[in-house]
Amino acid sequence: MTPPRTALALALIIALGAAGCSERPAAPPQRPPAARAAPAPPDPVATIRDRHLPNIELVTHEGRRVHFYDDLVRGKVVAINFMFATCRVACPLATEHLVEVQKSLGDRAGRDVTLLSISLDPERDTPEVLRGYAEAHGVGPGWYFLTGKRDDIEMLRRKLGAYELDPVIDADPKQHTGIVILGNEPAGRWKAISVLSKPVRIRQAIERTILPATQWPTGEAVVKESPREETEVGKELVQPGDLADLPVRD
Amino acid sequence: MLTRRQMLKAGLAGGGYALLGGGYVLLGPGRSRRVFADQLPSSPPTTPFLEELPIAPIAQPVARFATRPDPTNCVNVDGTTAIHVSGPRVVPTNAQFFLIHERQALHSFHPRLPPSSVWGYNGMVPGPTFLGRSGTPVLVRFVNDLPTNDPVGIGEPISAVHRHGGFQAPEDDGYPLDTFCTGQSRDYFYPQTPAPNVFGLPNPEQNEESTMWYHDHAIDITGPNVYRGLAGFFLNFDEVDSFLGEEDPNPRALRLPGRMRGQVREFDIPIVIQDKLFDQDGRLVFDTFDHNGFLGDKFVLNGKIQPFLRVKRRKYRFRFLNGSNARFYQLFLRNGGPFDFVIAADDHLFPRPLLNQKSIILGPAERAEVVIDFSRFPSNTEVILENRLEQDDGRKPDSLVSTGTPLLKFIVNGDVADPSRVPDTLRPILIGPAQILPFVTVKRTFDFERSDGAWQINGEFFDENRINAKPKVNTAEIWTIKSGGGWTHPVHIHLSSFFVLSRNGSSPLPLERARKDTIDVGAFFTQEVKILAMFPRYTGSYVFHCHNIEHEDMRMMAQFENQP
Repeated sequence: MTPPRTALALALIIALGAAGCSERPAAPPQRPPAARAAPAPPDPVATIRDRHLPNIELVTHEGRRVHFYDDLVRGKVVAINFMFATCRVACPLATEHLVEVQKSLGDRAGRDVTLLSISLDPERDTPEVLRGYAEAHGVGPGWYFLTGKRDDIEMLRRKLGAYELDPVIDADPKQHTGIVILGNEPAGRWKAISVLSKPVRIRQAIERTILPATQWPTGEAVVKESPREETEVGKELVQPGDLADLPVRD
Repeated sequence: MLTRRQMLKAGLAGGGYALLGGGYVLLGPGRSRRVFADQLPSSPPTTPFLEELPIAPIAQPVARFATRPDPTNCVNVDGTTAIHVSGPRVVPTNAQFFLIHERQALHSFHPRLPPSSVWGYNGMVPGPTFLGRSGTPVLVRFVNDLPTNDPVGIGEPISAVHRHGGFQAPEDDGYPLDTFCTGQSRDYFYPQTPAPNVFGLPNPEQNEESTMWYHDHAIDITGPNVYRGLAGFFLNFDEVDSFLGEEDPNPRALRLPGRMRGQVREFDIPIVIQDKLFDQDGRLVFDTFDHNGFLGDKFVLNGKIQPFLRVKRRKYRFRFLNGSNARFYQLFLRNGGPFDFVIAADDHLFPRPLLNQKSIILGPAERAEVVIDFSRFPSNTEVILENRLEQDDGRKPDSLVSTGTPLLKFIVNGDVADPSRVPDTLRPILIGPAQILPFVTVKRTFDFERSDGAWQINGEFFDENRINAKPKVNTAEIWTIKSGGGWTHPVHIHLSSFFVLSRNGSSPLPLERARKDTIDVGAFFTQEVKILAMFPRYTGSYVFHCHNIEHEDMRMMAQFENQP
C-alpha cells in the first residue's frame, strides 16, 4: 500500500542524515548498545492515508468518476468542506467565502491547492445539480463539487473529523460542521479552520498549509491585510446592582 | 481489537493496568453515545511503576550576551515583521541570561516502549526548570533548532514561547504571530517583578508569582507542538516563598518544604501530567483530525508513563501542572487520605492553606501546589496518586469513578530531618475584590460557544487584526465568561491573573480563593463564571483563549489591547 517512492525518499533522507550529509559514502554508523532501538520513523503520509483518506468513489460536478484518495488528494494540497445545494443556513456564506478565497489565490487555485466541496445530500445533489450550483456561484477551475454514495460520504466525513460529538446535532444536516479541512498530503500536514472565518484568514491558513514553516505568512504584513477592527462586543458599564450580588469570599 | 474509546474508559475502570494477555481488558458497562468510528489505535500495554519520576534539570544561566532585534517573522516577504517587535534591549545589569535550544531528540516514555522522537527545550521532555527570583530579571534566548524535514508529522518547526502565568510585556508574551523559525531565535525578557495593583493601589508584593510554565504558542499548531514536548516549568521565588525554602533564616520566609543541594532542588518537586497515545510499535501518535481535543490513554508524568517516586517520612511540596491538550484530572491519594495542605493554585499562593482536601481538579494548563506529609505513613507504605475523573472526548470531563488510574506511586521509606512548615498564613491578599471593585466601571461578557463545527468567542473567531476589548491600562473590569452547549473550556487570560468572583452567582470553588490565570467554564463546572480581570502596567495587545489547545488552534481566541 505504501507508495514505494515515498518510502524510498524517506529512507534516503534518513540515510543521508545518518551519514551527516557527507558526499562520500560513509561507513555504516555504529549502533549504540541500546536495549531497544528506535523503530523506523513512521510514515505520517501512509498513516494518515490509511486512517483518514479512504479511496471512495465520487462523481464531480463535471460528471467525472473519481477516487477520493487517488485522484483528488494524493500528492496535492487540498481544502475540503461539506455542503449541500439546498442548504440555506451557513452554506451560502461558506461558499461565498471559498469563492473569495479562490479568487484571491488567483492562478494558484487549481495549481497549488485544490478545493473540494462534498455533498451531504448526495441523492438530490446529482452532478447536474452541483454543476448548476458551481456555475451559479461563479466557481472557477481547481474546485470540484462532489457527490457519491451516502454511506461512503458519511464515512469520509467522520474520518476527516467533520462531525459533531452531540449525535442530535450531528444528525441534523442544517447544523453540519462548517470547517474547511486543509491538507498538504505529501507533507502529511493537516489542520482545519472554520469556513466562516474571514476569507483572508482562510487563504493565509491555506498558504500555511502549502508552504514550509520557514515561509509561513505570520507577521505584521499579513495581519494588516484586513482592516483593523475594534469590536468591543459584550462591553457594558457597571451598574450599582452588579456589585451587590457577588458572594463574599474568604 | 479494542477500540480506542474502550481503552480510554478501561484505563480508568481497570486501574490502568488491568490488561490481560493479548491486550484485552475487562470492560465495565460502557455508555453508548459513541458517534464516530474509532480511527486510532490504543497504546500497547505498559507495566506501571518501573521507572523513577524524573525531575527536570534546573536551567543554568550563561554569560551575558548582546540581544538582537526580533526576527522578521520567518517569511521572506519584504516588510514583514513580528506584531510585537523589540530591538536590541537595554537589559538591567543584574539580569540572568539563558540560552535554550528547541530541538528534536529521542525520548523514552517507558522502558518497554522504544524511544520516541520528541521536540523539547534543550531536547528534554519536560524542558529545564527555571528557578527565577523576584528582583532578578531574566532574559532567555530561545533558538529554534527544530528539523525542517521532520518525518514524524507531529508539529511544525515554527515557534512562539509563552510564559504561562507570567507578567511580561506584549513583545515577550509569545503572541501567536510573533513566531521564529528554524535557524532563528527570539529573546524574551521577563522582568521578575510582581504586577502592580490596579488603580494605583499599594502592596504589589502580594502578586508575586509561584508556579508558571513555558510552552509553545505558535498560531495553528500549538496543540501538536506542545504535545510533541515543548513545555517546561518556570518557578518564581521571593523573600516570603523563598529560594532557600525550609533552610531560610529570614524570619519573613515561610519555610515551605524545599531546599537546594547543589543544582538539585529537594523536597519541592514540579510534576507535569500529560496524556499521550502510542501506536503498536510504541511510537508517539497524535491526531490532527481530532479538533474536539486530543486524548491519550497513557499518563505521562515528567516524561515517564506511570513512574514511582521514593520519598522520606517528611513533608514534600508538589507543584502539579496539567500539561495535557484537552484532558481534565481529579487527583486523589489512594491509601493516603486527603492532601494535607493545598497551598496554591495556578501561579499564586493562597492566603491560608486549605487543609485535608480530598481531591484536586485540574483542567488543562491549571496548576495546584500541595504539601503531603509522608511522616503520617510507616516506612514501606505505598501511596498512589490517581486520577478518578473519566473523560472520553474533548468536550468535557464526564464523571468520577471509585477507583482511578494510577499516575504515580510514592514509596515511603526512611526518616530525614524536616525543618519545613506550612504556616497558617501564606500570602495575604491585602488588595482583593473588596478593595478593587469600588473603582470598577466596565464589565464585559465573553461567551465561549460551539458553532458550526468550531468554537467562537462572542460569535467571532480569532482574527489577528481585531481587538475584542480595549481596557484602560492599570484598571480592572468584571468579566463574565460563559460556556453552554455541553462543552467545558479552560479559559486562560494572558498578562495578569484574575480574582474569581462567582460561579453561577455562588461562591467560587475552594481552589479558586487566590488569583488564577486559567478557569474552567461550562459542563461539569458552571456555565457562568464572573472574574475580576486586571490590566496592569503594559499597553499593547495580549490574547485570551480556550486552553483546550485544539480549540485554541481552531481560533477560540480573542485579544485585548490595553489603552494608555
